[in-house]
Amino acid sequence: MAEIRFEAQPVQRPGKSKLNNRIEMLDVILVVLLTGFAVAIILPFLNVIAVTFVTQQEYMKSTILLFPHSFTLENYKSLFEDGRIWTGYRTTLLLLVLGLPLNMFLTTSMAYGLSRPNFPFKKFFIYFVVITMLFSGGIIPMYLLMKELSLINTIWSIVLCYGINSFYLIIMMNNFTTIPISLMESAKLDGAGEWRILAKIILPLSMPIIATMTLFYAVDRWNEWFNAMIFIRKGDLTVLQLALRSIVIDSQISQQMNVSNVQTDKQFSEGMKMSAVIVSMLPIMCVFPLLQKHFVKGMLVGAIKA
Amino acid sequence: MENTLLKKNNSSLISRVLKSKEIYFLILPGVIWYVIFAYVPMYGLSLAFKTYKANLGIFGSPWVGFENFTYVFRDPAFLESVWRTLWINLGRILFQFPFPILLALLLNEIRMNRYKKAIQTVYTFPHFLSWIIVSSVLINSLDMQGFVNGVIQLLGGDPVNFLGNTQIFRPLLYITDNWKSAGWTMIIYLAAITGIDTEQYESAQLDGATRFQIMRYITLPGIQSTIVVMLILTVGNLMNAGFDQIFNISNAATAKAGEILDIYIYRITFQSAADFSFSSTVSLFRSVINFALLLFADRVCKWMGAEGLFPSMKKKARS
Repeated sequence: MAEIRFEAQPVQRPGKSKLNNRIEMLDVILVVLLTGFAVAIILPFLNVIAVTFVTQQEYMKSTILLFPHSFTLENYKSLFEDGRIWTGYRTTLLLLVLGLPLNMFLTTSMAYGLSRPNFPFKKFFIYFVVITMLFSGGIIPMYLLMKELSLINTIWSIVLCYGINSFYLIIMMNNFTTIPISLMESAKLDGAGEWRILAKIILPLSMPIIATMTLFYAVDRWNEWFNAMIFIRKGDLTVLQLALRSIVIDSQISQQMNVSNVQTDKQFSEGMKMSAVIVSMLPIMCVFPLLQKHFVKGMLVGAIKA
Repeated sequence: MENTLLKKNNSSLISRVLKSKEIYFLILPGVIWYVIFAYVPMYGLSLAFKTYKANLGIFGSPWVGFENFTYVFRDPAFLESVWRTLWINLGRILFQFPFPILLALLLNEIRMNRYKKAIQTVYTFPHFLSWIIVSSVLINSLDMQGFVNGVIQLLGGDPVNFLGNTQIFRPLLYITDNWKSAGWTMIIYLAAITGIDTEQYESAQLDGATRFQIMRYITLPGIQSTIVVMLILTVGNLMNAGFDQIFNISNAATAKAGEILDIYIYRITFQSAADFSFSSTVSLFRSVINFALLLFADRVCKWMGAEGLFPSMKKKARS
């Protein structure tokens, strides 16, 4: 596999003439267009952040709210007093703690197994994986299966239903195939078994892809909500995203009822709702700028292979 | 099972299987997971031909042939949701699909690496948030007292009800979906551009081609196969019109305009007295159509001379 140098300029132009070094009108238009889209992405987030720090009075007064003038933490206070966000955080962290090791164990062991050359039925097992990418049973049989396994209303339903992502598995498998086979052969001569080779040789050599896949799985787990909505109806096992959703929908309803008595309403529902949004995306917001390169790299490895 | 099948005619295969038994132990946990949580549910779609009895389970329920299908196709809400799904997705292909390609082509023209990296970071960020978060953020900006209407009023316009209007519901879907994930899809195209032979660019420049000509006649054809693959995958998803997005961004006013097939399945299964056979029938219909469309799109693309989806998969399988 060729090394992907994403940071490098995609097209090297050695024959650059003087004309091309000049900043053309086109460049200006391009920068304006591209920056415009970036601003369109950033502004809604800035707006959300600003809303969390203002009082209802200021929210109603200002038409375009990007910087809070009166700074208040009341919204966050009422969010944490509400309690649902804590339940959400607890469940999602539990899901990460139980789910991520499972994801990584299943995916790495199977990816390594499948990356070994020429064992009988290798093709069969690869199609076995690929078919699941093209055709899936969907949520109803999954729900009935969980019911028959009596996993409904337990954390295990959402832990187990997302064990392997076939796409990630194939990315990892392709990555393992690039490791020189002589390394494994010599380890075998020394009497090492396949599991040992995986742990002692493959994993240390594949730390970048392991890290990337862990991140991908972690983000997927963090954003888990659909399966949880179907499998778990118990209030104290609400995942973070659904806790957020319930806060958002609740405050929408209270907003509709509060239209007439805006001034008397002490709790500012829009502010609390948006602080819930910020609290839910905070971890991703914090790690994303640092890890974006890994995400992109993982994606590229997959894209080039697929 | 495979061992016994092949014992009769190929003893060397058995010894090869035995020699590779460690590899089978490696893939065993994954295979078990796939069987239970991917293949059993896949088999579970056979409920489409059964009457589900809770005490008998998926495997034990009695077969009824195509009876469920006659019920499903008599449900007007089902047929409506199918057409709505197709209609929404047709718009996605026309209006939403080209946008990431355009972004990649434009960003590729930028030579300031710092700026490029910053832009990529911003563009890809929303992709990593769930639709619950994204819809909350966007609804906050787009509602009547929101930020966007604030700007419109400042410019002297009347506030627009973006979220409760069935007329602009579909454009809203396309725009918000691009807002969330166009940047991420763009990365795929940028990667494809990286793979284009630089010699082509050099000779084009010697011939005095303009930047637009280079983009049109070298870059765009260079990423054609990637575009085709993405298009095939999109067509293979024609029966899924984005459950997560519509579920979170629609409201009481637009619920009807947003009732795509997946939402219909969800509504009849989990929001009313559930008839699991009926829902499985709809679900099977959806999966089969998607799969058929994927194969069909692949065929059409190959027939038109493009590489299509499956050669790359075969290559993968052989490696």
